[in-house]
Amino acid sequence: MDGKVKKQKQHQQKHSGPKAEKKKLKKQNGSTEEDERKRNPKAFAVQSAVRMAKTFHRAQDIKTKKHHVPVVDRTPLEPPPIVIVVVGPPKVGKSTLIRCLIKNFTRQKLTDICGPVTIVSGKKRRLTFMECNNDINSMIDLAKVADLVLMLIDASFGFEMETFEFLNICQVHGFPRIMGVLTHLDAFKNNKTLRKTKKNLKHRFWTEVYQGAKLFYLSGMVYGEYQNQEVKNLGRFISVMKFRPLVWQTSHPYILADRIEDLTDPERLRTDPKCDRTVSLYGYLRGTHLKNKGQVHIPGVGDFQMSDVNFLPDPCPLPGTQKKRALNEKERLLYAPMAGVGGVVYDKDAVYIDLPANHVKQLQEEVRPTTELVQSLIETHVTLDAKMAASKVSLFSGSAGLDPTDISEQSGVQEGLREIHVWDAHTQTQRRKVVFTGLEEEEDDVSGSSSDEDDDGSDQENQEEEDDLSTFLKEVRDKSEKATKGSTPPVKKRKLEEMQGEEEVIAEAPAFADSEDELERGEADSEGEGEAERAGDSGHCSKESEEDSDDEEDGDEDDESMEEEIGADDSDEEEEQGTFKWKEGLQQKASAAFLRHQEAAPNLRKLVYGSVVEAEDSEEEEEELGGLFRVNRPQKSKKVQADALDCSHFNPDISHNWELEEMLNSIRDCFVTGQWEEGQDAATLLKEDEELYGDFEDLETGKVHKGTTGEQDQAEVKMDDEEVQKNKRLEKKRRLKERFDTEYDDGDATYFDDLKEEMQKQAELNRAEFEDMDDESRVQYEGFRPGMYVRLEISSLPCEFVTNFDPHYPVIIGGLGTSEGNVGYLQMRLKKHRWYERILKTRDPLILSLGWRRFQTIPLYHIEDHNGRHRLLKYTPQHMHCGASIWGPITPQGTGFLAVQSVSGVKANFRIAATGVVLDLDKSVTIVKKLKLIGYPYKIFQNTCFIKGMFNTVLEVAKFEGASIRTVSGVRGQIKKALSTPPGAFRATFEDRLLMSDIVFLRSWYPVSIPQLYNPVTSLLLPVGQKDSWSGMRTVGQLKHDLGVRNKPSIDSLYKPITRAPRHFNPLHIPKELQKALPFKSKPKLLQPKGKVPRDLKRASVIREPHERKVAELLRALSTVHHYKKKVAQRAHHAKHKEFLQQKEKDEEAKMKRMKDARKKLYRIMGQKDQKKQRSSLKGTPQDD
Amino acid sequence: MASHGLTYEGCNFLRQRLVLSALSGKRVKIKNIRSKDDEPGLRDFEANFIRLLDKLTNGSTIEINQTGTVLVYQPGLLYGGTVEHDCNPQRSIGYYLEALLMLGPFMKSPLKATLRGVTNDLTDPTVDLLKSTALPVMKKFGIDGEGFDIKVRTSWYSVFVEMQSNPGMDKVAMHVILYLNLSLVLHPQVVKRGMAPGGGGEVVFTCPVRKTVRPVQLTDPGKIKRIRGVAYSVRVSPQMGNRIVESARGILNQFLPDIYIYTDHMKGANSGKSPGFGLTLVAETLNGYFLSAEMLSTPQGQGDPILPEDLGRNCAKLLLEEIYRGGCVDSSNQSLALLLMTLGQQDVSKVLLGPLSPYTIEFLRHIRDFFQIMFKIEVQKPLEDERKGGDKVLMTCVGVGYSNISKTLK
Repeated sequence: MDGKVKKQKQHQQKHSGPKAEKKKLKKQNGSTEEDERKRNPKAFAVQSAVRMAKTFHRAQDIKTKKHHVPVVDRTPLEPPPIVIVVVGPPKVGKSTLIRCLIKNFTRQKLTDICGPVTIVSGKKRRLTFMECNNDINSMIDLAKVADLVLMLIDASFGFEMETFEFLNICQVHGFPRIMGVLTHLDAFKNNKTLRKTKKNLKHRFWTEVYQGAKLFYLSGMVYGEYQNQEVKNLGRFISVMKFRPLVWQTSHPYILADRIEDLTDPERLRTDPKCDRTVSLYGYLRGTHLKNKGQVHIPGVGDFQMSDVNFLPDPCPLPGTQKKRALNEKERLLYAPMAGVGGVVYDKDAVYIDLPANHVKQLQEEVRPTTELVQSLIETHVTLDAKMAASKVSLFSGSAGLDPTDISEQSGVQEGLREIHVWDAHTQTQRRKVVFTGLEEEEDDVSGSSSDEDDDGSDQENQEEEDDLSTFLKEVRDKSEKATKGSTPPVKKRKLEEMQGEEEVIAEAPAFADSEDELERGEADSEGEGEAERAGDSGHCSKESEEDSDDEEDGDEDDESMEEEIGADDSDEEEEQGTFKWKEGLQQKASAAFLRHQEAAPNLRKLVYGSVVEAEDSEEEEEELGGLFRVNRPQKSKKVQADALDCSHFNPDISHNWELEEMLNSIRDCFVTGQWEEGQDAATLLKEDEELYGDFEDLETGKVHKGTTGEQDQAEVKMDDEEVQKNKRLEKKRRLKERFDTEYDDGDATYFDDLKEEMQKQAELNRAEFEDMDDESRVQYEGFRPGMYVRLEISSLPCEFVTNFDPHYPVIIGGLGTSEGNVGYLQMRLKKHRWYERILKTRDPLILSLGWRRFQTIPLYHIEDHNGRHRLLKYTPQHMHCGASIWGPITPQGTGFLAVQSVSGVKANFRIAATGVVLDLDKSVTIVKKLKLIGYPYKIFQNTCFIKGMFNTVLEVAKFEGASIRTVSGVRGQIKKALSTPPGAFRATFEDRLLMSDIVFLRSWYPVSIPQLYNPVTSLLLPVGQKDSWSGMRTVGQLKHDLGVRNKPSIDSLYKPITRAPRHFNPLHIPKELQKALPFKSKPKLLQPKGKVPRDLKRASVIREPHERKVAELLRALSTVHHYKKKVAQRAHHAKHKEFLQQKEKDEEAKMKRMKDARKKLYRIMGQKDQKKQRSSLKGTPQDD
Repeated sequence: MASHGLTYEGCNFLRQRLVLSALSGKRVKIKNIRSKDDEPGLRDFEANFIRLLDKLTNGSTIEINQTGTVLVYQPGLLYGGTVEHDCNPQRSIGYYLEALLMLGPFMKSPLKATLRGVTNDLTDPTVDLLKSTALPVMKKFGIDGEGFDIKVRTSWYSVFVEMQSNPGMDKVAMHVILYLNLSLVLHPQVVKRGMAPGGGGEVVFTCPVRKTVRPVQLTDPGKIKRIRGVAYSVRVSPQMGNRIVESARGILNQFLPDIYIYTDHMKGANSGKSPGFGLTLVAETLNGYFLSAEMLSTPQGQGDPILPEDLGRNCAKLLLEEIYRGGCVDSSNQSLALLLMTLGQQDVSKVLLGPLSPYTIEFLRHIRDFFQIMFKIEVQKPLEDERKGGDKVLMTCVGVGYSNISKTLK
């Protein structure tokens, strides 16, 4: 056979001929649909308008279905590493896969996967791998932070419950990207079963995730690792994957901690090992901006206030922007401190720092700021106090250190010096002469030449007037002075003092902000000078108002008047000396005020935000002043400020005299009647139009109009430099383009496009606004931005968190939004999971995962009736949503949650009990349950009746007067009035007469209060190895089961043998009258039972004679014989007849055959005859016929 | 779990603190309220304000010690709905309304507050001022819609007076004004004006609910195109209004011809309990921003009486002062604008203001306390030859991403 198989003829491509030429032409031109439309317009004509409308509609539907609500793109320029969570049941190959991927990306081997592992995978991408163990706590926490989930499935076993549980968790908390990975494929020996299994698993996976979700196959192991090629492919998939923003993640900051340090004082630890710990947590910030001092939640631990946040240099930075394609070996970084890579290795009671040779440089950089501290703490053998005493502070790196003893020596002097600021006007004429708020200082200037008395007076005033702000400003000024002038001793001391103060107080302000400010101020000053030279005296008045605002802050409405007063005082004093002296002072004042304005501007930020800190500072100083004694100052100004009038009015600046023409002129351009900017001026716009559309030819007259552009340009060249011109041209171009766009493009734009564009603009603005700022100050405005490596310090973590720390469990720090730290009532929509086997009972404690948190609470289930009433349910409905109300953490509406009954242990069946969404956060919830009050009538009149047993007092009845009541048989009634005895009895009327056996009930609704249980699941605090055994409040059922308590059942509900007495029915009695009226059919048939037949009617019995008997006997015998004979004869006859019939049939057949033959013969002859006849007729009729 | 609270001293800025507390959900404790005063403790109007806050919220707890010097406020849910409140005549309705403006958009159900008391007094921004300046500011933030209004008077009378005082106005303009006023008249508003000290006025403030506030870029105020105003008088001669208008126009006409100042004279039941008169001026810019100023007569029996001519002139000067300060938001609404910026999405918002008022500065500090938001403050100095008033301040911030947690999801 093999030899005979004919080989198919191969296709021969034509190289010549019309077909080949046609093809060639086609290839060259590449005919498109357009061509066909042109060539054959009829084929593409509209056949049916309806059909066309339908297709168009459908196309539009599909298009709009793809739209999502556009959101502002808030991803930072340098995004944080992507969190890849590797999930799967135990022994499926999670660690192996992570190891293989790490090896693939970094060429390094990591034996122990412990905690998050961060690697640089490409030029623009970093990855953080985290293994998720089989504990449902970890699964829930990691689903909330995952960007990509690698879901490992043991193909030789099939899906396990954990997989589905994790998928359901993901569905609730926003669906991250999920990629399935099939392992253990080498267990299949048969190729066909392998293929079948793959297909089955794939389709099941698709129904869970989405159609066409990627499922990866890892076919087998080579030396305990997956095949290189397959891992490489997986890695490629990961590094090109795109992610969608998830609502919760994009609206909350969060950190997956990859490093933890205990900063608690070792002395405290020694004395009280169970004290609350100060812990610093490190990790990449993800999500949104993190504000300092905010509230955070650590799932598994609880809510905490961050005591400090700062950002550190990136331990795993992205490579610089080089052009080359691949990463070199040095850039393939790996950072996993918990696993012992990247510097710090954890042991039970020590921290080792590991510095591999190739990473020395980077690690040192990374470790520097904090680990030093930790190390020093660990290595401390002396107490902090002793250390403090021994320590020296050096202000500048070159200068000698200062001892604390020095400071204490100087402090006395300092206080004295503090208020006296001798200004050397001659050396510092040109700048920052007087910048104080009060006028006293300016006076000091004057007093440089004037009497001491004057000085003292002003000093006193100074002290009285002293408020937080002015001291602050003074300090700032001193500093700046120092910076320019070089260090004079008293100033230096002040600076030292400040530094100390800052070290204590300013935590959020960058440590060296002051020096920067100095620089800034320096610049600002020089600028200010420039301005001072050219600006007129009237132009800067409003700055004064800014300055004044400090004073106003003191709360005094008429601070200006105060100022005036002071001014008046001065003048009085000075008048004594000379009549014209006040003029001099005025000039000084004016110039001082002017300079003060110059100073005011850059200080505005400090004025608003800095002063508070300073105020506290000054207060402290005052208190510690004497050491033993406290100076009891009246602090008038402060009190006045605190209790001043609460009013939003902004009093006008009295220095502005709106009668003056000068003043009026200063706001001329604020009105449309004033001068316009060059870009908007009508004249310029007109001119520009002319430039744009200047050249045109009048077609009618044939006259050519020329724009005057060229000449003007030339003129401009003469006037301005090229820069200006270029700008102008650009501006012109831009405007032209805008106009063009509005004319031609915008017609097409939809609402969606507009919205998208708006979002795009906002995103650009967000990026650009703080771009050129340094991180230190940027952090203050925006908070810490995602992508930064930050260090959080939390001061009061429970000691179990540190002692029972297990790096295999994720430590997530989730930031909380405004008021998410509060607890309140929540109303949610809930549905029991269809795979969960039991229904849930009201008031059974349930563990919810909501927002960042996992907590136990007591839900009440309810359903909304048609009239809007929330009726309590005892159990959740089987296949329906119901409402649930809980007492729990305030979480924004629309947040999903899931519920489990217990987080401890692994049960075989599905653990997720219910899922749902938060609807409302109402503190007044009205859930009601049905209440039936039962009473019994004890006296019955016609329709009125007295009822007892429903209430206990007259007062209770009074509450329910007019309420409708009902009997079990359905007779309706109303409560009328209470009766005096027995207490609680009342009169009621009904629509019908009641029976004494009736039961009356009143249907009412009773509000139920929600139990206030909020019990966070503190699974991370449990000892290592028992972290999955958290158990909270038990349900009543569990308690009863555990304690062996059994309720005594009510006697009525017990089963007893049924004994049924036989029923006895009375005979039916129909009255005679009725009987008469009945038709005969229905009349009871009154037949008399038959009596005895009278004797005469009875027939006599026949008694035969013996002879007769014999005869009869014989006759019977004869007839029997006869019957038999007849029967036999009949049978024989029957057989004979049958035979005869057969014979007859045979004959018939034969006859038929014969006849058929005969007929056949006849027909043949007839046919022949016909033929002959025909033939002859064709030949021509013979003459003789 | 209990959220940490904030502690302040003294009764100053009480409204700010309570409002921010209600919005942020942070507990606030205020100590030493007039503790050194002869009459220690909270004043009546403050207690009244707290009562109003209590009406608006649900589940909040307020603790005041016996002398009234310590107040602890644990905010609840902002509920809104229909609220009627008798304001204390010590402060005008503006005092209460300023807080309501801040809280209104973040309620559970749309707010309809009827406030009774003093509509106009010297210390607080009057209702007319808030209506003409605060509402446009809020509209810029996307708080807009059918029921967003502070209902304050309109009467036929004003139209005719305006026509009389404007002999140059042509017929078309007259018709326009007639039409506009007619349309207003068609929606009858029960509004009564009540001057200090007696009060007796009534204001209805309605505000829709928003889930989020949108970020804004209010950086270019534009030039002032028109000035409008209301000169009102109650229980005095109706001529007062005209006298005020004359004098105010005298000053403002130097800058702009487009000035209409309506006079509003209330009679009978609508005129409250005390006599008085006043003027509110509003300047509108090309880009739709409003700057305003106002001036009132001194209340009956307190201080020297003021001539209507002086009042008009002074008020016009106040408006010029306000224009000199400039910015996109006028000085009395700075804090409102900054609050709405803070509560915006996590996007950059910018607003150009005049010099910051002390009230605003304190407000900024409070915002930092409650929301951990700091503003970037940049001073924009006017150019050499520019004649556009004094320094402006450009405030920039990134919103906290606040969403109205009171609103029900259906």
